[in-house]
Formats: sequence, C-alpha cells, structure tokens
Amino acid sequence: MRAPAWIIPVLVVVCTAAGIGGSRLLVAPSLVHTFADAAPTADARTAQMVVEGVKCVDTAERAVAQLNELDGVLKCVAYAARARLDVTYDPARTSAPAIREALEAPVLVPATGEYLFGLYQVVELDGEKIADVDD
Amino acid sequence: MKRLRLIFQLSIVAAAAFAGVRYALGKSLVSVETYCPFGGLETAWSFFTRRRFSCAAGETNLALFIALIVLTILARKAFCGWVCPAGALFEWEAKLARRVFKRRDFSGVWPVPAKVDRALKIGLRIAVLGLVLVATWKTGELVFRGYDPYYIVFSAHGHDVKAWSYLVLAALLGLGLVMPMAWCKYLCPLGAALWPASIAGRLRLARNEHHCTGCGACDKNCPQDLPVSRVKELTSGECTLCLECTAACPTPQALELRWSAVPRPKGKR
Ligand code: SF4
Ligand code: SF4
Repeated sequence: MRAPAWIIPVLVVVCTAAGIGGSRLLVAPSLVHTFADAAPTADARTAQMVVEGVKCVDTAERAVAQLNELDGVLKCVAYAARARLDVTYDPARTSAPAIREALEAPVLVPATGEYLFGLYQVVELDGEKIADVDD
Repeated sequence: MKRLRLIFQLSIVAAAAFAGVRYALGKSLVSVETYCPFGGLETAWSFFTRRRFSCAAGETNLALFIALIVLTILARKAFCGWVCPAGALFEWEAKLARRVFKRRDFSGVWPVPAKVDRALKIGLRIAVLGLVLVATWKTGELVFRGYDPYYIVFSAHGHDVKAWSYLVLAALLGLGLVMPMAWCKYLCPLGAALWPASIAGRLRLARNEHHCTGCGACDKNCPQDLPVSRVKELTSGECTLCLECTAACPTPQALELRWSAVPRPKGKR
C-alpha cells in the first residue's frame, strides 16, 4: 500500500511524544536508603526536594551521606535523572529546613580531609521553588 | 520533505547544544542525557531486574527507548535520519566531504566490499553494543559517555569527557571523511540495537521497474550508500527513510514509499 512521505515525520513526532508522555509509567528510583536507626513512626513526613548536585547514583549516595548525622531522618529515595530526593523524616525530631541545611553543608572528602562547599543546593521543596538553579 | 527533515535535524541539534551549554553553566538541571534513548537501553537491565535506574539514567530514557523500538518497527531507522543529532552531524560531514572532494557518491575513498560491509555492520556494531551493555550493567555507570560522539559534542565538556574523548571524536570525524557515516554504519551501538526492528520495519521504499530508467541517481545520493537502484523493495535495516533518494530521482513514481504488510522477501539487501 502506498504511503505518503509526511507519515515519516508524523510517526517520529507521535512516537517521541508517546515516549515522553509514557515515561511516568516507568518511574523508579536510582537509590533507596533506609537509615540505620530509623525507628518507625506513624507521623513520618516526606519532603520532596529537587537538589542541584544530585546528578547520578554516586552523587545521590554522597547527598544521602550528608543526612547520616541528622537525627530523625528515616529514609531517602533518589531519582537522579530528575535531581530529586524524597526524604522521609520524623517531624518530632527534625524538619525540612534542617534537612535542607544538612544537605547544603560542606561535604567532607575522607581521602583528603578537605571540605567541598556548595556541592548541593536545594532548589525546590515540596513543589515550591526556593532558589534558582544557578544561585 | 528534504527541507522539513533539515528543519527537524537543525532544531534538534540546536536544542541539544542549548541544553548542554545551559546544564554545563549550571542554569538547568536537564542534561543532554535526559532525552537519550540509548541511556534507556543501558539502564534496562537494572530497571527490569532491580527496579532501579543506573547512574544518571531515568524513566524518560527508558520510555524513549521503548518508543524508539515502536518507531523503528513502523518507520525503520527514521530516528537516525530525522532525530539523532550525532547522525545529523555525521551526515552533514559526509555531504560536505562529498562536495569538497567532488565524489560521485557516498562510498568514500575505499568502497567497502558488500560482504565486508555486512560483516562490519553486524559483527562490529554488535560487539560494540555488547561491550557497552556488559560494562554498564557490571559497573552501574554509563561508561560509554566518554566515547559517545553525541555526548562529547553536546554535553559541553560534561562529566566523563576527558582529553582522550576529543581524540576519539577527532578520529571518528577523520574516519567519516574517508568512510562516510562510518560511526553510524559500523560503530553506533544504538544502530546495532535498532537493526533487528529496522529489518522488520513496515515503511519501505519500493522501486517501480516500469518507471525506473536505471540512472543510479538514487544510489549516488543515499548517505547510507545503499543499492537502491538494484532492488525492487528496499528492506535493508540501514535505511533511515531520509528520502534523499526520492528527492534525487528524476523520474516521478520510480521510487515510492510503501506500507508493507507482507513478510520480508528473502535475499534482499
Ligand atoms: S535508501 Fe533512500 S531513504 Fe533509505 S537511507 Fe538511502 S537515501 Fe535515505
Ligand atoms: S534515481 Fe530513480 S530512475 Fe534513477 S535508478 Fe534510482 S529509482 Fe531508477
């Protein structure tokens, strides 16, 4: 059966749009970390953060390590492709601003003992923009 | 159609370059990897076995890869001819080289014998694909980044692009001057992954022997160097449906696009 040439760009556009639109059906994390002393609590809350600096599993792991010392953080789920961290915490022991502060704190490089500044910056918290990407 | 395809290619190249520079300058969190379907294949193993994405890959990569397979079953390697920014760059290089060196076609300095060409297209590309996938699945890292011409060019010196990456790029561009589209034809792992679906592709070009004068203009203008004038129906898994052949054909109706519902006849290239 003869086909018009315009069918090619139409198929290209339709398939690309379907791919982008259908991506929400395939959502999965890059990393899931449950903190060692995460005692279960009925009131746990989750802060959804977009964090500049979370680019891959490695950088997500390092960001998660920033929260190790913070009491009350229960779980962290990272979606590296979207620079997103979902941090579940006990609101009786910590808060979203405290988590943000811990994430944005200087990062210790164990090998050299040096601190790296500005590695992570929370640019969005629970859907609300709180800083520009390049601030 | 030629103009429309050029508009597609230019827009996508410009969008990729823009995204790469913005990400490199820290103005955006969307990198050039976000929309790369090959990232979807690289992370597929991890997704289906552990429900985790590898390295920087995510759901958009995987969904675009699945959509790309569907597109390829319908319209062969239209992605390569209409969308892929690396494909566009190598095609433009091949066209430039053809004009500068006054070549009659895209066979390059050393036309590759058909058997060798086929062996390289299948064997070498599959070897590259296998190597990349095994390395990615073993390390959990997108190890191909530093060798990927798309990433090297558009990431604006992104993560994993080292000095040797530019040597790889220069070598590929050099190779492309003497062997047009060498990357796409013999090395691209995404091309290898799409090849089986492309062979089964439903949209194909057919040559009407009653109208065809045998002038060979189609062969000379095919960037993939396919023997259009020697087959009745073009079933090659390499056709990108760029339609350069139909644009070059001086005889109306000699080449037409067909929606093929029949299984692929044997013995066609
Ligand atoms: S056969 Fe025609 S449509 Fe296919 S790649 Fe060659 S020029 Fe493009
Ligand atoms: S360019 Fe047209 S007329 Fe010439 S050989 Fe190809 S299909 Fe036949």
